[in-house]
Amino acid sequence: MALRIPLVAPEIRDSIRDFLYLESLALDERRFRDWLSAFAEDARYEIPVRVTREKLAEWELSPTSRIFDDTKQTLEFRVERLETDFAWSEQPPSRTRHYITNVLVEPTDKADEFRVHSNCLVYRSRGDEPNPSIFSAQRKDLLRRAGDSWQIVHRWAAIDQSLINAHNLSIFI
Amino acid sequence: MAMPGVSAGVEQMLREMREGVPEGRVPARIFNDREIYELELERVFGKAWCFLAHESEIPRPGDYVTRYIGNNNIIVARDEKGEIHAHLNMCRHRGNMMCKSEMGNASHFRCSYHGWVYKNSGELIGVPYFNEAYERKLQRKDWGLVKVRIDSYGGLIFGTLDPDAESLADYLGGFQFYLDIYLKQGLGGSEVHGPPDHWVAETDWKICAENFSGDGYHTPVAHQFGFHLGYFASSGATHSKGWAVHIPGKGHGIGLGHTPGMPPFFGYPDELVKQMHESLSPGQLELFSKTRTAVGNVFPNLSFLIQPLSLEPGDPGVRFCTMRLYHPVGPGRMEMWSWCLVPKDAPQEYKEAAYKAYTLAFGQAGTFEQDDFENWIKVTKMTGSTLARGVDFPYIQGLDREPLKDFPGPGYAVEPYVTEDNFRNLWSTWVRYMMEGE
Repeated sequence: MALRIPLVAPEIRDSIRDFLYLESLALDERRFRDWLSAFAEDARYEIPVRVTREKLAEWELSPTSRIFDDTKQTLEFRVERLETDFAWSEQPPSRTRHYITNVLVEPTDKADEFRVHSNCLVYRSRGDEPNPSIFSAQRKDLLRRAGDSWQIVHRWAAIDQSLINAHNLSIFI
Repeated sequence: MAMPGVSAGVEQMLREMREGVPEGRVPARIFNDREIYELELERVFGKAWCFLAHESEIPRPGDYVTRYIGNNNIIVARDEKGEIHAHLNMCRHRGNMMCKSEMGNASHFRCSYHGWVYKNSGELIGVPYFNEAYERKLQRKDWGLVKVRIDSYGGLIFGTLDPDAESLADYLGGFQFYLDIYLKQGLGGSEVHGPPDHWVAETDWKICAENFSGDGYHTPVAHQFGFHLGYFASSGATHSKGWAVHIPGKGHGIGLGHTPGMPPFFGYPDELVKQMHESLSPGQLELFSKTRTAVGNVFPNLSFLIQPLSLEPGDPGVRFCTMRLYHPVGPGRMEMWSWCLVPKDAPQEYKEAAYKAYTLAFGQAGTFEQDDFENWIKVTKMTGSTLARGVDFPYIQGLDREPLKDFPGPGYAVEPYVTEDNFRNLWSTWVRYMMEGE
């Protein structure tokens, strides 16, 4: 992305920024059905595996390995599970806080779809464990206009650690 | 006689454990203890055959990955002739780390400190100021990278730090028969789908190794959601059905869960099943066709699992295969590596479906994996307490059971799947390594 502004009209940028904040709020308040409704029916949710490589290597984010490799249907599977009393990894529930910054919105070939870059820092606290998990991620989403609001068509989040410092990823980025 | 280098308390615990395991007792303390951890590095990881890599991770000349045996960082590389080598990732000159990446392709490794250069087969070939500084006193052939003895089975590359260790074939001791369910998925065998998920957990590696030695007992509770929501092709009423097999004295064990009424090899594409009729022996076919879940561990810390996962409730589901390595990095702390193995010759569509099922169930965000690690970090936390140190756990399931006669595979096989025979074998093997020389 060249250093050229503006990328899109400020109203669009502000509207998308609010949408991302609302989506994060739904996650942090554990309103997972609301969160699911932010995704388009044909949505993809993807977190690639990062591998530490030399500077000149072809890739650092694996083209074939993913931590999450989800469709809306499989996200629903995960949410349905979280609604049971025996999703032990979230029993008691994690406290999460998603910090979304550096939001940049770019137009795409389609008038109603926008590419959205953001930084995402997720703080997760579990039980009385004093050491939280902190996940820092680069996100690249594809958003589609849906009436007055937006839908996520593609969520792509790359976690900055290659060796991830958490016993599981029972939360969403 | 006292065990050298071992405190009186740990020595007594190990002696009692050696007596206790055949009677079904294992001490809680082994799951979270600094001295046990340090002793394991030397006596288990310094002696056993430990998994390094799958050959499909380094398919081309020059490909390498960096892995660990105990606390030793090791380069596993394929040389220009296609031969695989393993060496300590340390420059022989001053000890700098040679390869700082987890994988790549290189014909040579050059140290970033003083510039010594090694071929990927380990020979020292370049020394800056060789004549001026060393005045012909340095013999390059004496200063290659420190070599690690390796051997392989079915694409699995193992290494051992013990030059006197038995051969890998003897070490596996017949467990190859069962490993084939994971490694001979079709005529082309299995390959990794990509690099592994890699994360840290406050868990003792042995808890995972025990679980994957065939703990069918935890599944209906720890993974209750799968049963309850219909995503897992088993039911509480029949879940104990199947077999548990171990190789006595070797520590390897596998659980083979069976769901009555399910068609043979359900969850695999027909094309692959046809290939397996050629890649597997008649005895393997008889057993594996009836297997829903194959959950096995190669002593000490390499595990595998094949199971189906349904995306529609009630559907038999898609089979996936995962390979996992539990690498100890401290008392009650480990690094986890989790791969998905796919059949090389399967239709691409099936490979993708199997990979999706794997990520939904296993890997760091997998729904089964999440619940396992939540339990395992708590087991680790609880067993590290002062009161827990004096407590034993019961391992008496199947204690008086007779092994099956005419079982199609080698080793000690029992029915049902839910039993603790495999764990007693794991722990008696572990304690023997820990008391080596006694």
